[in-house]
This record gives sequence, structure tokens and C-alpha cells, in this order.
Amino acid sequence: MARQQTEVRELDEGSYVMMDDVPCEIDSYSTAKPGKHGSAKARVEGKGVFDGKKRNLSQPVDAKIWVPIIERKQGQVVNVESDDVAQVMDLDTYDTITMKVPGDVDLSPDDDIEYLEYEDQRKIIRS
Amino acid sequence: MFPGARAHRGSAAYVVVGAPLDASTTFQPGTRFGPRRVRHFAESFDDYDHHTDSEFSALGVADHGDVGPTDDAAEYLEFLRGTLADVREDGAVPLTIGGEHTVTVAGVRAVDPDVVVCLDAHLDLRESYANNELSHATVTHHALEVADEAIVLGARTGSEAEWDRASEDDVTVVPPEEVADWEPPAAVREGRTYLSVDIDAADPGFAPGTGTLEPFGLAPRELHEVVRAVAPHAAGFDVVEVNDRDDGQAATLAAKLLRAFVYAHAAGE
Repeated sequence: MARQQTEVRELDEGSYVMMDDVPCEIDSYSTAKPGKHGSAKARVEGKGVFDGKKRNLSQPVDAKIWVPIIERKQGQVVNVESDDVAQVMDLDTYDTITMKVPGDVDLSPDDDIEYLEYEDQRKIIRS
Repeated sequence: MFPGARAHRGSAAYVVVGAPLDASTTFQPGTRFGPRRVRHFAESFDDYDHHTDSEFSALGVADHGDVGPTDDAAEYLEFLRGTLADVREDGAVPLTIGGEHTVTVAGVRAVDPDVVVCLDAHLDLRESYANNELSHATVTHHALEVADEAIVLGARTGSEAEWDRASEDDVTVVPPEEVADWEPPAAVREGRTYLSVDIDAADPGFAPGTGTLEPFGLAPRELHEVVRAVAPHAAGFDVVEVNDRDDGQAATLAAKLLRAFVYAHAAGE
């Protein structure tokens, strides 16, 4: 698993965290005090990097938590199969991968793109 | 635990959340003791309500406990908003006990209402107070960043700029002498409504335990009638600005109004 452990207090808006075993991007990080004693509690809200679903967690700031290591990669469009499927060649490894095209992205062959990759999940973020 | 709030959180219809924020109180602080006092002074009430023929402990009220503030009010409001949004996502109605009136900002952001109804002595329409954009004197201003309309019942004081702002179409001010005859308009009955009770709406003779006392206020019965009239249409509720500087009058009234909200909301569904 491409992930590393950290403490909840190290998280911040815009960074990644595993919630419900799904890699998520953090939209909101806030803390509150549970009482006179004990550590503060953090509330983290975010959405799945690849599925877009909202998730949240609430844990002590010193709790251990997993952060996914999501790679940002460069690719080139080889073939556009349909409105939502394209073949992309990874410009590091020259592997050709079939990936979903987001609705707001319009691709043509030879376009250079950027995509996020975590295990076998990929998401085009820029074309 | 709020007396009678025996439901499990997962199956609750109403969730009490204490929000003891005491950061921007002016004149007399002490709202950090509000949730504790309100829970304590609710202990003497009967479970049965003859207006609605229902028992409070049977209405599915849970108590989440308090969400304690940090030094960063903006971050605290975000945490509180998330907590109250969780309540809404679970299909329950959040009942926030303040804390200074600023906690209403979190409640309104969580509920996302069309209309905010406030019982308040003050207009709270300042954009900032004492260089603080999250002062308890800015609540109605912040509520209007979310809601289309604010109705302030019992308001009797504000700055000249606030009264000017209150003259615009999205704000309705009902002075204390007209509150007894007020009825919820169509926007409250048909849209999504949030009800906030600042205990200083009551005349200081009835609720001295609050930070900024303002004479010529509402009688408890008038507050009661408004809460009962609005409750069936409300998706969120709070009662705020109770402090520890009296013998329990303010907290007793706040606790009774919270219970009145639950009885009327449950009966009105």
C-alpha cells in the first residue's frame, strides 16, 4: 500500500488522508476541545480523490492516521475511445493505460495531460 | 446530560449540542457556563406537556455533550458547523445551547435555511464589532450570508448603521410591543427556517443572567408563543447568551424554551 502514517494534527486543508479506507482530499480541518483534560479533537472533512464522495472523521489530534501517497504523473493521449474513455501513454514508463475522462475534460490524440494515480485508480486533472 | 434527553444518538430525532463559546462577549462574560446552567435548571421540569399531550423523554432527544472552543473562533465555528451538519445528515434537528450568539453562525451554516428567525434585543447587523468580524454583534449579518431573509423579533437597540441595514427588504424587525400579535409569514411556514433565541430578547427583569441587558423587552410568555409558533417549521434551533450572573432565571427560561421548541416541533410534524 502506497501510504504513510502521520498524526491527525499534521493534516491540513488541501492535503490527502485516508477516510473509510479511501484516499480523500481535505476540504476542512478544525479543532475543538473535548473538556478540561485530554487532547483536542480534530474534525476533518473532505471528498474522495477518485470518487468525489464527501467523507468526514473526528479524532484526537494525536491519533495516528494514514496518508495516501498519490502520484501526479504526465501522460499523452494516444486514442480517444469515447466521451468518457481514453488511452493514455505514461510519459515516464511509456505504458499505455485506459482511463476514464471526466465530464468537463475534452481530449484529442497527442494532448499532454496530468493525472493522479493511487494504486490502480487514476484521475485526469489537467489537459 | 439535558434532562429527558435519553435517546441514543443514532436513533435521535433531536440532538442537544452545548457550545460554550465565550470569546467576544461584551460587558459581562460568562456564556461559557451557559450549557451547564441550562442543563442544570431544566431538572425541575415535568416530563409531560399538556399543550401537546406528549412527554419530553419520549420525543427522541439525545445529548451530544459540549463542543469546547479553542482560541480560534473561526476554526471552532467550522468544527461546530460540522458537528451540527452531522446531526442534520442523521435526520435529526440540532438544538444548540450557547455560548455567545456567535455560535448561531455555525448552526445557520449547517442548516442552510431560507429564513432565520431571531428573538433578540439587538439587531446584530454589524459587519464587525471591536475589529472582530465574528463578534456576537454580527450574527444577523452573517446569517444573511446564508439565508435570504432575517426576521428579528423583540429588537429594540442597534447602531444607526444597523437600523439603516434593517430597513432593507431582507430584514424584518418586529418591535417588542408587536411581538404578541406576530404570526409566522408564508416564508417561514413554507421554506426552511432556523430559529435562534438570544435570551436577552426577554426583559432583563426576567433573564438577568446575560451579557448585554436591554430594558423594555419581551415577557417570557411572548417568547414562548413565538417559539411554539415557529418550531413546527424550523429545521434547527438554538438558545444563546445565557451566563452565570443570576440565580438561574435566564437559564430556566432558556431550558423551558428549548423544551417548548421540541414539544411544538414534534407535535407539528
